[in-house]
Amino acid sequence: MSASALYGWLAQAIVFGAAIALLPLGRWQRPAALGAIAVASVSGLAAALHGFLGAPSATLLGLALWRLLNGGASPLTRKAAWVVVGAGAVFYPLALGLGPFDPYGLGYQPWPLLGGLALAALVLWRVGAGAWLLLLAGALAAYPLGLFANLWDALIDPLLVAVAIGTLLKRPHKKKAPRP
Amino acid sequence: MKPRSLLPLAIFALALTAAAWRIPNPAPAAFVAPPPPAAATAPAEFASTLLPVAAPSAHAAALAELPDGRLAAAWFAGSREGAADVAVWLSLRDGEHWTTPHPIATREATAQATLAYTRKVGNPVLFVEGQRLHLWFVSVSWGGWAGSSLNHAHSDDAGATWSSPRKLQTSPFFNISTLGRAPPVHLADGGIGLPVYHEFIAKHGEWLRLDASGALVGKTRMPQPVRTLQPAVVALDGQRAFAALRDAGPGPGRVRVAVTDDAGQHWQRSAPLPLPNPNASVALLRLASGHLLLAGNGEGNRNRLLLWLSADEGRTWSAPRAIEDDPEISAEYSYPALLLARDGRIHLAYTWQRKGIRHAVFTEAWLNTLPGAQP
Repeated sequence: MSASALYGWLAQAIVFGAAIALLPLGRWQRPAALGAIAVASVSGLAAALHGFLGAPSATLLGLALWRLLNGGASPLTRKAAWVVVGAGAVFYPLALGLGPFDPYGLGYQPWPLLGGLALAALVLWRVGAGAWLLLLAGALAAYPLGLFANLWDALIDPLLVAVAIGTLLKRPHKKKAPRP
Repeated sequence: MKPRSLLPLAIFALALTAAAWRIPNPAPAAFVAPPPPAAATAPAEFASTLLPVAAPSAHAAALAELPDGRLAAAWFAGSREGAADVAVWLSLRDGEHWTTPHPIATREATAQATLAYTRKVGNPVLFVEGQRLHLWFVSVSWGGWAGSSLNHAHSDDAGATWSSPRKLQTSPFFNISTLGRAPPVHLADGGIGLPVYHEFIAKHGEWLRLDASGALVGKTRMPQPVRTLQPAVVALDGQRAFAALRDAGPGPGRVRVAVTDDAGQHWQRSAPLPLPNPNASVALLRLASGHLLLAGNGEGNRNRLLLWLSADEGRTWSAPRAIEDDPEISAEYSYPALLLARDGRIHLAYTWQRKGIRHAVFTEAWLNTLPGAQP
């Protein structure tokens, strides 16, 4: 069994647990999430999700862990979700065969990607998006650990794009007007 | 403006440095140049036999020559294509006889090793490198063959025992739709160039570059104006290679061509061959004489299995010679695999009526005795 297989299986269980943690269960939210991770692991659900969906990106795993461990506001704000959806909207059609250029191939020797990420990091730091710097650092760290052969897979996956779309579809919270 | 802590930026910089350190640095791409053309000395001969039956439905044979000279054939077989009991089987040719096939990849073992639900397996590719026998095969978790992922295992004891299969990461979309069919090509740095194909939404050939440790270090597309599948590649020298592809486009198909002149870093489409292709797999081989041998089906359906020769690196081709020619239109002789053995004999394995795998062995002299075979 390879490290990447173990990662994909375990990460799917954790992402499933984080999805359960989105349910309005009050103080039972975290125990239910941990229980869901355990059930997914032993029931074969994590293996099924791993088979159907592949390995989640390290970015998605980071967001799931954020949800489980922190419980505070997700770094996947509407603005961040727009960036993820935009990246997916450009990347996936090209990578799946629209035109002769395959950006996914760049991820096996990802010098251009690292250059782009370095620039993005400066922007994130400038706007004070420390959480995203940490999420991207986690994704980058997963690459030298051998969990991903292609850096794109560490950064983005279709499930992350789906979560971002879900974030955009949610009605934004309206600030309550101050009482007169 | 939010406060800007330096700590997240420092952690990011550390991770970026670690990622940069890990980026593979392969040698400039080059094929192992094929040997210079030599006159074929083996006398004309031809023999053909059915391999032992592993299961009622069989398809997609692959061939390799083991270091000790024995021939290995792998194919997938089960109660029907795509059934849960389908496995990849291996049989060895010891002298004149094929051994009883034994399963070398099953859906259960693949699911266990990859920790991923696996519904079916298929399409083996064999390759010998030194003392090691490589196996690539596809596994599917959902949907049809377009949902395939590529797996790799190896054997250091001539196929008796195998490493646990591991799934290669070849696609950004749920890691699906990478399939293998034709054998790889040796690269000069000890790596492997593996022709594969993608068939989810779009259909096109692809080229995977693996380094000497088996790690994926590159992936390139083989562009074509129509849908294509199953590239079969031969190296013409250290930099140039010729790929023949299955035509999966509309209408009467022709064998499609892609070429590279930088050892697979870029592929360009070339004019299709004047050879028919009824949306069926082809096999390609460079012979000892330097001629190219192409095996594929004739016009219309898969009831004729034909051979063509080219003496000019694929620019012109001989008249076809039939290995199978069945008037029954529903008959199927398909998915050829070709191998040039070290003794100069040419081996051909193919799907025989979906009921079994047939093996033919012949020499280049036999090919040249056929009327119209001289390219």
